Amino acid sequence: MTTSNDTATDRVTSRHGWQWSSLAAYALPIIFVLLLIIFSLAVPYFATWANFGNVLQRNSIIGIVACGMLLMIITGGFDLSVGAVGAMSSVVAAVVIVQFSMPLGILTALALGLLVGAANGFFIAKIGISPFVTTLATQVLVTGFLFVGTSAQPVYGVPESFTVLGLGRVGPVPIPTIIFAAVALITWGILRFTTLGHYIYIVGGNKAAARLAGINVERVLMTTYALGGFFAAVAGIVLLGQTNIGQPASATDWPLTAIAAVVVGGVPLSGGVGQVWSAVLGTLLLGIIANALNLLGVSPFWQPAVTGAVILVAVGLDSYQRKQRERR
Amino acid sequence: MPKGEAMLLEMRNIRKSFSGVEVLRGVDFSLKPGEIHALVGHNGAGKSTLMKVLGGNYADYEGEISLHGDKIRLLSPRKAIDRGIAIIYQDFSLVPDLSVAHNIALGREPRGRLRGTIGHAILRRRSAKEAERLGIRLPMDASVRSLGVGTQQLTEIVRACSREVRVLVMDEPTARLAPAERELLFSTMRRMADEQGVGIVYISHFLDEVCDLSDRITVMRDGLVVATRPGADYTLDTLAELLVGHEITGREASRAAAPTSDASEALGATQLSVADRPPLDLAVAKGQIVGLAGLVGSGRTRLARALIGDVKADGEIRVGGRRVAHVDPERATKAGLSMVPEDRKTLGLALGATVEANIVVSALGKLLSVLGFVKPGSRPRLAEEMIERFVIRPPDRRKIVGNLSGGNAQKVLLARALGSRPVAMILDQPTAGVDIGAKVELHNQILAAAKEGAGIVVISDDLDELLDLSDQVLVMNGGRLTGSYARSDLTRASLLAAISRS
Ligand SMILES: Nc1ncnc2c1ncn2[C@@H]1O[C@H](COP(=O)(O)OP(=O)(O)OP(=O)(O)O)[C@@H](O)[C@H]1O
Ligand SMILES: [Mg+2]
Repeated sequence: MTTSNDTATDRVTSRHGWQWSSLAAYALPIIFVLLLIIFSLAVPYFATWANFGNVLQRNSIIGIVACGMLLMIITGGFDLSVGAVGAMSSVVAAVVIVQFSMPLGILTALALGLLVGAANGFFIAKIGISPFVTTLATQVLVTGFLFVGTSAQPVYGVPESFTVLGLGRVGPVPIPTIIFAAVALITWGILRFTTLGHYIYIVGGNKAAARLAGINVERVLMTTYALGGFFAAVAGIVLLGQTNIGQPASATDWPLTAIAAVVVGGVPLSGGVGQVWSAVLGTLLLGIIANALNLLGVSPFWQPAVTGAVILVAVGLDSYQRKQRERR
Repeated sequence: MPKGEAMLLEMRNIRKSFSGVEVLRGVDFSLKPGEIHALVGHNGAGKSTLMKVLGGNYADYEGEISLHGDKIRLLSPRKAIDRGIAIIYQDFSLVPDLSVAHNIALGREPRGRLRGTIGHAILRRRSAKEAERLGIRLPMDASVRSLGVGTQQLTEIVRACSREVRVLVMDEPTARLAPAERELLFSTMRRMADEQGVGIVYISHFLDEVCDLSDRITVMRDGLVVATRPGADYTLDTLAELLVGHEITGREASRAAAPTSDASEALGATQLSVADRPPLDLAVAKGQIVGLAGLVGSGRTRLARALIGDVKADGEIRVGGRRVAHVDPERATKAGLSMVPEDRKTLGLALGATVEANIVVSALGKLLSVLGFVKPGSRPRLAEEMIERFVIRPPDRRKIVGNLSGGNAQKVLLARALGSRPVAMILDQPTAGVDIGAKVELHNQILAAAKEGAGIVVISDDLDELLDLSDQVLVMNGGRLTGSYARSDLTRASLLAAISRS
């Protein structure tokens, strides 16, 4: 039968591509380990538990945001409003905690994050505005409301005990990192086991096919963006735990840093593919590089430039290999 | 039509327009249980649109649809699926990065142990079983992206057939299948119709297949039904005439005498080895048409892509007698080699751009511009000329290519390649999905291009097409050239035998 003939040649090609693709799949972990080794040898104080704790502590927030960003990128979109949502979450939590109680503050902030995310999803899926425009608009909108509501003043008065969430540790492990790990685990579970996760890949891979197969594309998109907003709100609460001040002007760099972390992890913006470990590893990679520069006494002004170079190199390697593979 | 017989599906007076242009102008269509009902018509007649209405793609259609006598309105794909209507669309609707197993299960994933979860293992086993039941072997874990077009089509067929279906629509399922796969598909269709009482709507431009297979045949022309009769009432000729609306005028004098052997070379390759296969030689003279025959997966497309530098290969490639060093698609195109890929949707066309933009893009750098500036008026002129030569319908250069009917999109692709006046051309399945009237037209255009001196390689699964066009036919198998025949030495039967021999 001819079909076996056809599949046989397909297999042959995939076997030829095997070594390359498996190498390419592990390029990032390899780079990561290499950098760890190099930094440990060359950078004083880098390879200490205190420093590792420090790196985790500093990067967990972006990691949480990156997990949500990953989901949205797999659907073929992204979210520029996560920073505004994070700032909103920390300010609202601060206000409600000061006025009422801690649990209510956290709940309100999370609910608001979910709501803004769902609104993003509504405009993208039901109205059909592009993710870029939609989330740019909500970012500006939310930030605007926040400045009006607070007169651009920070919110003080959150009880000292709240800093457990941002600065506390269980043994050597910072609590933000535990929250990050939990979020990453949940994201992994969603993508691996749930119907929603599977549909996220399908919608990102071929929207028309998803629709024709009877999948409710709009609902999948709305849920994904709601989750993204929710995770951003979680990150905002952790941020409040670190500073104890609800700062309306904070978190402006979250969206681009989180997108950077995901793409450095090897996830293409075109959608349809991506794994959680990419977001986690991408976050940590950017984190250790910043940390090493810091320890070496390099001016912090250099850090964006280095981050930019890392994005180009990491994503460039990945894309180049993909291109070569397609030509075989 | 006998009144007493219960209809499975009835569509009455269906109308549908796109931005004011009426594409379906009151169409009646019916389907009995266990019947294979063919729907034929020229490119752009509205066949796919009618079936898309049935699939719940257009909520704004007018008219009445009843299934088992119940009036229904089909407002979304989900509604149609829930009613047991499955459609294999003309242009694939698979998810490229997902595995074959997951694509087969698309939209009906089995539940895992908990609510809201997926049973991946169950899913894989079930998909494998469903393919096996149809007698189709597929690499379940490979991603669809890595498969050839034929295998993708089979994946789509397994997906549609394994639903709980009562109405199964196949929109040109055989346009990209090799003969043996077609036979397999036909026996599967017959079985589903006879044993399970599924009503099957079958759209195709292969009229001989249609005549052999169908219980009834409906002919559409320009958004209207012109005839619905039992299959036995038609002959190939009457069907062809009904379809085109006039008698098909014979092709312009078929192949003139083959060019003399001293004609200079248009396209050549020496010691070309693709993907570790043994090296091969190839030479196409100016004005010569070389057919490339073989089974699906025999490496024809791969060879074509190697010639244009799209996949890596070792060896020498010459265009117009001159060697192209470090060949890549850009250099090859500059040297005068152009290729029409088989997968028009993902490789061939800029779907969101206009017909004009798509037609002129290849000629732009060479014929239409001076020092990087486009000559005023030259673009619309070329586009209009090509639209007329290739009978592209509707004849509107501003129409978005993604909205054209499948066959017309294919014509745009060919018009682009021929419009740039290449030295050599590789045409991969040039008339897949093109109606018989237009096919004759396209063949004439290809022959005319050869007469003007282009060297042409035609890859096709359609043996008659190869025999009609070629001066010489090369047969490929497993990545090597296994035979070379002059046209005069070949008959349909001997060619089929040469292909199937392994
Ligand atoms: N989304 C759309 N927007 C505008 N026009 C469309 C759209 N879809 C189809 N059309 C037009 O409707 C007409 C009928 O197209 P349809 O795809 O039904 O033809 P067809 O009979 O299936 O032809 P083929 O044999 O080439 O596949 C064509 O003129 C086409 O250009
Ligand atoms: Mg069609």
